[in-house]
Amino acid sequence: MRRVAVAAVAALTLVAGCGGGEGSAPPVDVGPSDAPVTLRVLAGSELLDLEPVLADAGEATGVRIQLDPVGTLDGAQAVASGAVEADHDAIWFSSNRYLALQPGAQARLGTATDIMSSPVVLGLRRSVAERLGWVGRPVTWAEIAAAAGARRFTYGMTDPSASNSGFSAVVAVATALAGAGSALTLQQAESTVPALRDFFAAQTLSAGSSGFLQEAFVRRATGADPGEPVDGLINYESVLQGMNADGSLPEPLELIRPADGVVTAEYPFTVLAAAPPEARDAYRRLVEHLRTPDVQRAIAERTHRRPALPGVLPTPADTAVELPFPAQADVVDALLTSYFDKLRRPSRTIYVLDTSGSMNGDERIGALRRSLAGLAGADSSLTGQFRRFRGREQVTLLPFSSAPASPETFTVAEDDAGPDRQRIADAGAALQPGGGTAIYDSLREAYRIADEQIAADPDRFTSIVLMTDGENTSGTDLDGFRAFAGSRPAVPVFCVLFGESNAEEMEEVARLTGGRTFDARTAPLAEVFKEIRGYV
Amino acid sequence: MTAPAGRRSGRRVLSWLLALALLGVIGFVVLRDMGGREPDPPAPTVVTGVIGSEKAAFFGDERVRAAFRAHGLELRVDPAGSRQIATTVRLDGYDFAFPSSSPAADKLLAQHPVARTYAPFSSPMAVATFAPIVDLLRQAGVVAPGSTTFDVRRYLDLAAAGTRWDQLPGNTAFPARKDVLLSTTAPCQSNSAAMYLGIASYVANADGVVADRAVATRVTPAVQPLFRDQGYLPPTTEVLFEDYLSAGMGRVPMALVYEAQYLAEELSADPVLPADGQLLYPSPTIFSRHTLVPLTPAGDRVGELLTTDPQLVALVAEHGFRPTDPRAFAAAFRDRGLLEPPPLVDVVEPPSFDTLEGMLTLLGCTP
Repeated sequence: MRRVAVAAVAALTLVAGCGGGEGSAPPVDVGPSDAPVTLRVLAGSELLDLEPVLADAGEATGVRIQLDPVGTLDGAQAVASGAVEADHDAIWFSSNRYLALQPGAQARLGTATDIMSSPVVLGLRRSVAERLGWVGRPVTWAEIAAAAGARRFTYGMTDPSASNSGFSAVVAVATALAGAGSALTLQQAESTVPALRDFFAAQTLSAGSSGFLQEAFVRRATGADPGEPVDGLINYESVLQGMNADGSLPEPLELIRPADGVVTAEYPFTVLAAAPPEARDAYRRLVEHLRTPDVQRAIAERTHRRPALPGVLPTPADTAVELPFPAQADVVDALLTSYFDKLRRPSRTIYVLDTSGSMNGDERIGALRRSLAGLAGADSSLTGQFRRFRGREQVTLLPFSSAPASPETFTVAEDDAGPDRQRIADAGAALQPGGGTAIYDSLREAYRIADEQIAADPDRFTSIVLMTDGENTSGTDLDGFRAFAGSRPAVPVFCVLFGESNAEEMEEVARLTGGRTFDARTAPLAEVFKEIRGYV
Repeated sequence: MTAPAGRRSGRRVLSWLLALALLGVIGFVVLRDMGGREPDPPAPTVVTGVIGSEKAAFFGDERVRAAFRAHGLELRVDPAGSRQIATTVRLDGYDFAFPSSSPAADKLLAQHPVARTYAPFSSPMAVATFAPIVDLLRQAGVVAPGSTTFDVRRYLDLAAAGTRWDQLPGNTAFPARKDVLLSTTAPCQSNSAAMYLGIASYVANADGVVADRAVATRVTPAVQPLFRDQGYLPPTTEVLFEDYLSAGMGRVPMALVYEAQYLAEELSADPVLPADGQLLYPSPTIFSRHTLVPLTPAGDRVGELLTTDPQLVALVAEHGFRPTDPRAFAAAFRDRGLLEPPPLVDVVEPPSFDTLEGMLTLLGCTP
C-alpha cells in the first residue's frame, strides 16, 4: 500500500510538473487494493468517465489501475521526452495521432489497442439548427463556415493545444475547406483563406478542458452564469449525446455530422515499450477484458462512444466520411500556429497582478516575472510554443498593491510577434514588490479598462486573469465587488491561488464572473499561467 | 476483553488445521511412494515464438493450442511487426520466429542460418470493400465487369490524377470529397503496407520487380503519394481491418488487407462482415508467405507440425490462410457451403528485403 501511495504522489508530481493542462482532474485508482500488479496509466481526462467500467475490469483481471489525467499536448511531451517511462506503464488518450508525430515518441510505444471511438461533431440547439435549415439533411463544413462568418450562430470549442476535441475540429475544418481530398500539405496548413477565419469568427466560448466547456455551456444556457448563452458546441459525438441524455439542458442539441467528413478519436490503449513484463501481461489481460462484447456494450451504454469490436452494435447507417489526418509534424504545427496567431478570434487579456510587499522574493515576484517571460516566448516546450501571447492578442498588465497602478497595454503583431512579446516580458521584469493588497479595487479598475477596450474594439475574447498571494487589505471588499459584479456584463475572471491567497473568496469571484480558479500553491506558477491560456 | 481470548482460540484452531494438513501431505507422499497413483502425462515443453501480429488470432485459438498440446508442446507467442522481427527484435530465448513474408524470413536466415525453414501457409494481398464501391470502380475501369480483379495499373492512374470520389462520373452512391485511395497501414511498421509497396512499385516499374537501388530511387517518388496523401495510417493490419468492419464505408471505403482476414471472418461461426462487403484481388498481387524460421529443435517441431498435422492444417484453413495443400483450403469452404476463393494467376514476387528496406528509407522510415 505504501508503495502504491508513493507511486500515486510521484505520478501527480509528474502531471503537475509537465504542465497542468487538464491535469486538474483528480486521478482514478481502481481495482483490488491487494492486486499483485498495478498498471499506471497516463491518460486523457475524458477517460475518467470509464471509472466504473475500469473498476469492474480491475476486479475481473486482478489488476489495480491508476489513471493520471493530463492534457493532449502535455501527454505528447511526456512521451516524446521519455519522462512518461519513469512512472507509467501505459498511456491512454483519445488519439495517438499527434503524439506519434513527435520525434522519438513512436519508438517508446508498444502495442496499441483501440477500445472505442467517437467523432468530433457540431451540436446545435435544436431551434438554431432548425432556423439554419440543418435538420434532416447533409450539411458541409463550407456551409457551416459561411453561416459562422455571417454570425448566424455561435459555438464553444476547447483550446486545440489543451484538448483533442478542439484539435480534431481544427484539423477537420482546415482539411475539408482545403477541399483537396488528401491529407493537408504544409502550404494548405498555413492557409488563411477567408472561409477559415469565418468559421472561427463564431466561436464565443473557449476552454482548456472539455469538462469546463460543457459546464460553462450548461451554466450559460440555464442562466446560472452571466454571459450570453452559446448556440452550440464542437465536441465528441459521445459528449453531446451524453448532455442530451442527462437532462441538464433547457433545449436538446441537434448533432450535425458534416457530410464532407469528420475526425474520429479512436482511444488506443497503448502499453509503453519500456513497461516491465508484469505490466505488459496486466495490460494484455485488461485489453482482452475491455474488448469482450459485454464490456464493449457497457462502454457504449455508459459513455455513448462507439464500440471498437465489430458486430457489438449495428454499423451506423450514416456513412460519415473520415477526413485524412496529417501525418507530418511540421504540417500540424503550422496549422496550430496559424490557428492561434491568425485564424481564431483574437483575445484581450487583462492581467491583474499582485505586487504587494508579500510578493518579495525569488519564489514570488521572481516566479511571476518568469511566468510572464515564459508566455512571452522563453518557454520553448511543446505546450509553451502554443500558449504564448498570440498574434493579434491585446495584453494589458495591471499591477497593484495598495491601489491599482497605471496599466500598460500591448497589441501583439500578427506576423512578427517577437518584439511585442519581448516588450511584455520587459514590463514583467520591471515589476517591483511593495505596499498593501487592494484586490477588489484593482478588479474594478480592470473591468473599467475592459469596458473601454470593448467599446473601442468589440470583437475579441475578453478575460481577466487575477493573481494575488494574499488577502484583500485595502479598498472595496468582496461584498462590494459582489454588488458591482451583479450589475454589469460578464467578463470571466480566472483566479490564480498563490501563496496565502483566500481560496474561498477567489472561488466566489470565479463563480460570480463565470471564470474558474487555478492552484499555483501545488504547481509551479509558470505552468498555471500557461494552463490559463487555454481559457482566454 | 473477549477479543484476545477469541484470537487465542482462533490460533488454536489454526494449529489444529495446520497439523491436519501436514498429516494429509505425509499420507499423500507415503501413498504415492507406495505406487497408488496414476502416471501423469509428461509436462508439455514450453515453446516460445515471435510472430507477425496477423497470426495472433490463429495462435490464440484454443483449438490450435490444444492441437499443439496433444503433441506435448505448450505454445507462447509474442506478436511483433515482421520488419521488427527481421531487424530489431532480440531473438535469444525464442524457439522460432514466424514473420509474415519471405523477404523478412530471408533476412532472418542470413543472420541465423538453419537447415530448413517452413512455409506452411500463405495469403495473398486483397482489397476489402463494399458493393457500391465495386460498382464505382467498375465504371471507372478499375474492376472488369463480372470479375473480382482490381486492376492496379488503372488504379494508379486514377490516384496519380488526384481523383476524388465525388469526381467519378455518375457517382451518387459515395460522393465523398476525398481522394480515391486504398486505405493501408503504415509502411514503416506493417508488413501488409510493405507488400503493397511491392505491388505498386512493380507496376510503376513497367511490370518488373524492383531489384536495385537505382530503380528504387526512380520508382519510389511515384508511389509515395499513395501513402502520404492518406495522412495518418494505422500501425497494424488488424486495426485497419477492424475499422473496415465496424466503421462502415465512409471511414474505409476500400482497404488493402490479407485475404485471410476477410476469409477468416467469412468462415467463422459468427461472421461480422458488412452486409454488402466484397473482396477484390489486386492484379498483380503478392502472396504474403508466412515463413517459420526455427531457432531450436522445439521450434523446428512447430514448423513441422504446422505443415503436416492434418488437424492443424485444417485449422490454418479455417483461419482463412491458404495451406500448402490446396485440398484443406477447399474443404474449409465446402464444409460451410461457401464458394472457394478463385485461384490467382497474376502473382508477382516481392522485392528482396534489402531493396524493400531501401524503398522504405526513401519513404522516410527510420530503421
